[in-house]
Amino acid sequence: MRHASFIARTVFVQNNDVEAACRILNRILGREEIFDQFRRTRFYEKPYQYRRRVNFEKCKALYNEDMQRKIEFILRKNRVDPFPGSL
Amino acid sequence: MLRKGLLDIFETALNRRTVFTTGVNFREVTDRKEMLKSLPVADEGTAGEKSIDVDSLIQGRGDRFPNSQIDSKRFDGVLFKDLPIINIRVSPNNTIINLTNAKGLPEIIRSCGIEGFKNTRKGTNVAAQATAITIGTKIIERGTKTARVRVQGMGPGRMSAIKGLQMAGINIVSITDNTRVSWYPPRPRKQRKL
Repeated sequence: MRHASFIARTVFVQNNDVEAACRILNRILGREEIFDQFRRTRFYEKPYQYRRRVNFEKCKALYNEDMQRKIEFILRKNRVDPFPGSL
Repeated sequence: MLRKGLLDIFETALNRRTVFTTGVNFREVTDRKEMLKSLPVADEGTAGEKSIDVDSLIQGRGDRFPNSQIDSKRFDGVLFKDLPIINIRVSPNNTIINLTNAKGLPEIIRSCGIEGFKNTRKGTNVAAQATAITIGTKIIERGTKTARVRVQGMGPGRMSAIKGLQMAGINIVSITDNTRVSWYPPRPRKQRKL
């Protein structure tokens, strides 16, 4: 779908601070993986490369999820023994 | 007491940390491909893409992004939709900047190649900035001071072209990204052999 021009992917410049506006725009586009997709589609991605990338992303997502859970467990504040495992 | 116990555990864990040093001997960095793999990824002129900077976003949230009142908004007495557009087309090898009126009819065009930079020098941020400054002064001579900017593509000139326009004295109202991205593109060209 075509998005409306100058409404989609647009950031206003405030107080003549162009760099801040650019940073916000670039950060949003980077986080939404629009830049990643742009870089990826410059050249043909062979099927083996696609499989490798997707598998890697899956593993990374699993690792991140587990790690996040661990961090939340360690940082949890409301517990009987505040430092489990220590004396 | 408890905190001290935790610190002790951390300390012993630090002292006993196993460091593998044998793997270094097996690495081969004789190949060009290997060398390129170990090098850091080249910066493509998208500053702020990976940085986490929350405060500035929250601070000016209200007016940062266009809303439904966009058509009635005025900048220097001109409606937003009637403002002239400065298009910046960035590629790894060149930067092309042109001014169009609000309807999209081109008026001035300038590129790093026209500016006098040739071959690889065209695709540098210095060339982009110089081009932006020349076209910016030309635009101001024509009597246009306020404009909106539309950027397309990625490359070293992306940030510096916008900065150059500002240095020339143009009042940039908004920055729009118009990079063409598709999730189902036709088959792109084959990969480069490095």
